[in-house]
Amino acid sequence: MSKEKKVIIIPCSGIGKSFGSVSRMAAFQVTEDDRPESTQLVPLALLVLGDEAARAALENNPVIVIDGCQLACAAKMVQESGGTVAKEMAVLDFYRQNRELRPQGISQLNEGGQKLAVVLAEAVDQVVDDLTTREVENG
Amino acid sequence: MTNYLETHLDKFTFKVAQDRHYTTYGVWAFNQEGVVRVGLSDFLQQTSGDIAFAEVQPVGTVLAAGDVCAEIETIKVDLEILSPLAGKILRLNPSLEMTPEVINEDPYTQGWLCEIEPSDWESDLAHLLDPEAYFEIMKNQAEEELKKK
Repeated sequence: MSKEKKVIIIPCSGIGKSFGSVSRMAAFQVTEDDRPESTQLVPLALLVLGDEAARAALENNPVIVIDGCQLACAAKMVQESGGTVAKEMAVLDFYRQNRELRPQGISQLNEGGQKLAVVLAEAVDQVVDDLTTREVENG
Repeated sequence: MTNYLETHLDKFTFKVAQDRHYTTYGVWAFNQEGVVRVGLSDFLQQTSGDIAFAEVQPVGTVLAAGDVCAEIETIKVDLEILSPLAGKILRLNPSLEMTPEVINEDPYTQGWLCEIEPSDWESDLAHLLDPEAYFEIMKNQAEEELKKK
């Protein structure tokens, strides 16, 4: 992958929803702690507002969306903004695989929600690595 | 082909299938040649949110009307679904184990919960609402929900 190219991470913007909070917590972990060099977080709200820089970030960069519910606002907004979703991930799918980690709370996620965010972030890390490797292999 | 009553509120559309009966709570019962299929109304599934898990009582369970026939966990709430009729559970929807979201996607057709052999259908039917009556109740419930937002 070239130096300029990054994997764009777009989480759910659902305020007041615990599954949205899990999505954002996972996105923060990936972009700030786990893979800061190869990823960039783009807030969904900026795409909704038509922010030029946010839309530009989608051009020629692979995008991972992390949706909080089946409305899939993040995935839809990327497509409406002219981007291409390389991988669509959903908090609900990860919860179904980890039922003991039930997310509750909004501004302060419970322990289950925080652990679910870590599980989700690790899965996103893996996708980032796969996309990065693919970019390198393709030159 | 199933026909629907429809109402539009804010950005939402709620449908009521016209070929079955309902409880006020939004559980439907559809009698197909002596076997009654049970599921959630469009309004109940939409207001409950995305379904994470749907666990229906096992085949062979004998229910009285009003007994819990299924427990549903959504991203917003835990629901106990009360059976609209008395009888024995004959079959569960096999889709629910791996893809419970089918209830959200298609509540009246693919997203059914279970099939019940009724023990006294005529008596239970007398306590259920026809689609038009449920439609009016559901519209009021939807307006109340909207006021809360």
